[in-house]
Amino acid sequence: MGAASIERFQKRWQQSKYMEALLYVIGFGGFVYLLTHNLFYGIIGFMVSAGIALFVLKPWSISSKNAVGYIDAHLPQAGFSSGLLLSPSNELSDLSKLQQFRVASQLEPVLSRLKPPHNIFKATLVMFGLILLGLAGGFILTRYGGSPGGNSSTKKQITFAPKDSLSSATKIPELIKTTITVQYPNYTRKSILNTTDPNIKAVQGSNLIWNLEFDGNVQAVRMDLMGERIDFTKRDASYQLTKNLEASGFYSFTFKDANGNDYVSDLYSLEMVKDEPPLVQIEGLDSYSYFEFDDDKRLMLNANISDDFGIDDAYIIATVSKGSGESVKFREETIRFKGSVPKGNKQMNLRQPLDLDALKMDPGDELYFYVEALDQKTPLPNVARSETYFAVIRDTVTDMFAVEGNLGVDLMPDYFRSQRQLIIDTEKLIAEKPNISEKDFKFRSNELGFDQKQLRLKYGQFMGDETEMQAAAGAVSHEQGEADHGSEEGEADLLDEYSHKHDSDNEHNLVEEHGHENEETEEEEDPLHDYLHNHSDPEESTLFEKSLKAKLRDALNIMWDAELHLRLYEPEKSLPFQYDALAIIQEIKNSARIYVHRIGFDPPPIKEENRLSGDVENITNYDKRQEFEYQKSFASTRQAISRLETLIQEKKIFDANDSALFVDAGNELAQKAISQPLKYIKILQGLRDLEKAVNRSKENYMEVQKGLLSVLPPLEDIPMKKTKYDSEINLLYLKELGVYE
Amino acid sequence: MNDGVVFLNQNLFWPVIIVGLVLMAVFVWKEWSQRKERRFYVKLIASFLAIVSLCMIILKPSTYQDSMRGKGIVLTDGYRSSQLDSLKSIYKRIKTEEYTKGRTLFLLTEVDSIFLLGHGMEPFDFWQVEHKSVAFLGGDANQGGQDISNKSELILGEPLELSATYANPVAGNWAVLADNGGNPLDSIPLEETESQLIQLSAEPKASGQFVYHLMEQDQDGQVVSNEPIPIQVKEGRPLKILMVNTFPTFETKYLKNFLTEKGHEVLARTQLTKGKYKFEYFNGASGTIYGFTSENLKDYDLLIIDTDSYTGLGRTSKEAMEEISASEGLGIFIQADEGLFRLSESQSPFRFNKDYVTEIALGQPMQTLPKYPYAFQENLRTQEILLDYVTVASYIPVQKGKVGTTLLQNTYQLLLDGQEALYTRIWTKILNNITRKQETVLEWKSLTQIPRLDEPFEFELQTLLTDVEITTEEGARIPLLQDILIPGKFTGTVYPRKTGWNQLQVANDSISPWFYFVYDDGQLQNIHQTQLRNANYQKFGSSSTFDDSKSVSKKELQTITPIWLYFILLLSLGWLWLEPKLSS
Repeated sequence: MGAASIERFQKRWQQSKYMEALLYVIGFGGFVYLLTHNLFYGIIGFMVSAGIALFVLKPWSISSKNAVGYIDAHLPQAGFSSGLLLSPSNELSDLSKLQQFRVASQLEPVLSRLKPPHNIFKATLVMFGLILLGLAGGFILTRYGGSPGGNSSTKKQITFAPKDSLSSATKIPELIKTTITVQYPNYTRKSILNTTDPNIKAVQGSNLIWNLEFDGNVQAVRMDLMGERIDFTKRDASYQLTKNLEASGFYSFTFKDANGNDYVSDLYSLEMVKDEPPLVQIEGLDSYSYFEFDDDKRLMLNANISDDFGIDDAYIIATVSKGSGESVKFREETIRFKGSVPKGNKQMNLRQPLDLDALKMDPGDELYFYVEALDQKTPLPNVARSETYFAVIRDTVTDMFAVEGNLGVDLMPDYFRSQRQLIIDTEKLIAEKPNISEKDFKFRSNELGFDQKQLRLKYGQFMGDETEMQAAAGAVSHEQGEADHGSEEGEADLLDEYSHKHDSDNEHNLVEEHGHENEETEEEEDPLHDYLHNHSDPEESTLFEKSLKAKLRDALNIMWDAELHLRLYEPEKSLPFQYDALAIIQEIKNSARIYVHRIGFDPPPIKEENRLSGDVENITNYDKRQEFEYQKSFASTRQAISRLETLIQEKKIFDANDSALFVDAGNELAQKAISQPLKYIKILQGLRDLEKAVNRSKENYMEVQKGLLSVLPPLEDIPMKKTKYDSEINLLYLKELGVYE
Repeated sequence: MNDGVVFLNQNLFWPVIIVGLVLMAVFVWKEWSQRKERRFYVKLIASFLAIVSLCMIILKPSTYQDSMRGKGIVLTDGYRSSQLDSLKSIYKRIKTEEYTKGRTLFLLTEVDSIFLLGHGMEPFDFWQVEHKSVAFLGGDANQGGQDISNKSELILGEPLELSATYANPVAGNWAVLADNGGNPLDSIPLEETESQLIQLSAEPKASGQFVYHLMEQDQDGQVVSNEPIPIQVKEGRPLKILMVNTFPTFETKYLKNFLTEKGHEVLARTQLTKGKYKFEYFNGASGTIYGFTSENLKDYDLLIIDTDSYTGLGRTSKEAMEEISASEGLGIFIQADEGLFRLSESQSPFRFNKDYVTEIALGQPMQTLPKYPYAFQENLRTQEILLDYVTVASYIPVQKGKVGTTLLQNTYQLLLDGQEALYTRIWTKILNNITRKQETVLEWKSLTQIPRLDEPFEFELQTLLTDVEITTEEGARIPLLQDILIPGKFTGTVYPRKTGWNQLQVANDSISPWFYFVYDDGQLQNIHQTQLRNANYQKFGSSSTFDDSKSVSKKELQTITPIWLYFILLLSLGWLWLEPKLSS
């Protein structure tokens, strides 16, 4: 019984502590909320202060011991023995029991009246103090702090004013709700923006939706966008207009009320922000890198790419240039960065080693490379590229090209001329036949046959049906058997050597060299194709090509026979074929010449009898009539300045003509304003404000006129007729001046 | 009339004499009973004296006397107080009065020699001191603008050129020309000198009546003074141009394009072959012209003709052209080629010297242009057309008209180089000088330099009209005074009722009204005071002493003091009253 009362007291004490904490917390939370006008911050403040208050006050720490101590200290009736009440009576001595009983009976009436120590009054004061402070602080902030709270939001709403002064009886339809929705393009990943601020700034391609709700009956709600009038569509009670943002500009709204009075809003800006192309920078690389032939030809490409909304892709474009002068060849390759480029990042750093050897670069070759990056703009992404960097493998040997007489370019390699050489050698062999041994003769004949084969193969390459010819050649050599084995070996070696030599020549733009087979396929049609097969000239690409091929096919067949006879050690029989082949090759060479048509003017034939007769009777006068509409630059604006001056001088009153003139002037200036909106918006707004009856004051006229004068460009020079009065005295003087001259 | 007595009330002479005689007769008749007594004669004498003195009181006899009424000081605006103090120390108790324009000076009735201190009196108040001896001592020239001159009427596109003189300018201050809205257009720093002439220029951007401002600003941009510059900008009119060429050239083609695109009415004739022409009509031009006659040239403002066509003109054509130019003011522009420089004196009015210079630098940034290696011979009649201080062309006035040519060659090259602004500037300058001016029937000129509210504003009007009637805005008719020598010249005076733009119009004609600007009292004070000083110096001379002869020889009528007459009257009437009492 006594223990229970002490427990009750302990509870009361704890409750009062909790109460105190709660008061502090409410006070602080209220203070934060009133200061920021934001419930969220208020709640956070509440929670934080609750934590702190509980931690400091520790209401749960009030134990029964504390309670006993307090009771003993404050109640004389307890006789410093209230602790006994907590002890179970069976554990106590008799004296103690007696004391327990006594204390319990004495405490019973007083204990419920004993108040636990508390600071609730102080906490209440603090709470009210904090709330008052919050109220005052919030008031000061909104008033002077210029916090972008409720104060400016009222300013940035669409406001309408009547165009003409109205009788006060007329009820002005009010705009009760404005919502402007800005839907950014998907790729920007920006959320839809709902605003009431009519000055809009958005990314190109954004979708803008204006939703206006009026209180009262209105008609013909329109948007006036730089002179273009767009009607709103009525949807339920509101008016809606959707527009895709394609250009910056200025706009205002107009509407009519039920009585046909016009209303016009202020002028608002519509600013289009262009999606900037990505910015690509390559770091730590000289614009020119030089390598010796035996260097480790590696470059480390370190690219920093950033974009305002997100990068879609990035890669390296590398161009290898081989050769020089007219035979320079370019090969472009796209190199992806190691690992995939993460999409949609605004900033990324990419690294990629470039191995020149892997690019099949030889000494003297140059590599140009840059990094290209695309952003996620739709439909067409913005493309940006870095600066171009160069890597060069130094060449110690420079090849010179000989220019043949009949072609601008030394098109035919050396072995092409050897058909004639073959004939000379064959004839020489025939002539020397009696003087040399048979083996020698056969060897030389076979050698010539091999040369002939080489020549045929080479021509075959030009034909483009290499593999077939190669197979045929193989067959032949196989047919020829073991006798020619060494030669066959030599052939392979020779071919090998030959093809290597060919590669190191800078005539071909080939870098790849996987093997002979590959080489053959890759070399298909190559030299002639590049030089002769000119697709831009339809005549050349069809007719010429076909006849050439046919001829070459003939020549190859003939060479085949020539080789056959040489291999059979019958140079005499081979010779006529060789001559035939030479003749056809000559023809092909000639047909490889490029002709340019002479283009000139063919005058119509003149009748002899009419020449130099001096007869101009049939020639008539020629009349031409033309009208030019000359308009001074900013004619309406200039006129508006004059009109404003008369208005300022109060020589006339504002009428509909003035209104039309000012609208014209505004539209004229709006064109210019797009490039420098800051400079013009105020003037445009001023001009637009003159639409409203309330703004037609002398001060406003002067203000607008000053603005117009400040932005107008000077008039261009035009000769003009001036006025002059010639008095008699003047005329007499001028006449006399002439007489005495 | 040197010493005689003059009655001031001369017109009452006879009535007064008659009344006096009647009174005398009545008196004689009344006293006739006493005629035997000696006292009758005494009374008669007394009554005669009384009546005579009574008559004299009414008639106010007066005599010419040398007036010697002393000196006074008239103080006008801007007097030096030290000057006043020293005058006061020399002439003790000298009378002073402050001058207010338009009000009669009371002092003048009492003094006949005045010291005039300060900037002086308004010219329209000079009548007050017409017969006084005046020593004009003058005041100090104020600091600031002393004189502003500019053309008050401009054609849109023509620059406003303003020159002003500043006395004792404050170094570091700026003179700024601002437009009617207050936007600065041109400025010049003031220097530390006694008097600085500044020149400012700006191009008005719109037509109408505007009040520009000439401001003086100190280093902090504070406006020290602000004077209005009223200007009137009018729209120019497009020209009617005839172009005659023997063969087409690029120069002509581009010039033609330039002119037609600017809305001028152009008829271009190019010869195709003998007697056959290509006629091009732009912007409403019409008609075909083969030979020139006074009839077909009359309406054109400008004839652009190449040298070959000019020399190839027939006698009648040439005479017609020259006649129309002289009488109607047709401007003739000859497109030069080498041939022009070899023409004899009878063929061409221009004389050239070879100068071997084949290039000319113009514009900003400098642009060189080819020119013919000749220079104009300077003579009395040749007027040069300057652009950026370089002679680009020249003309010779022939009565009303002008004949001009340029030495520039292939100016179209400028257009091809993208220097369109320079091209238009060159040709605008040249053609504006040569082309015919629109003749007006009426010319106004203000004679009062600074018109002010309720002060007389004098204007001059020259007209070919015989019967003009001028009214003000309010409809009041203004009488005109015709000049004695020139019949078409009139002067008139108006008292403007309001400041700012006022207008005068011709009531019986639809000619557009003439605007003049009336200044506030506070405006153009400095200039006004300078003008006042000059006018006063002109009127009174600059010597600080009095013209003695004027002050001595000056005589004035002076009434004989009537007190004696009253005394005689009193004595006589007293005797007549007392005598019966004594005798009885």
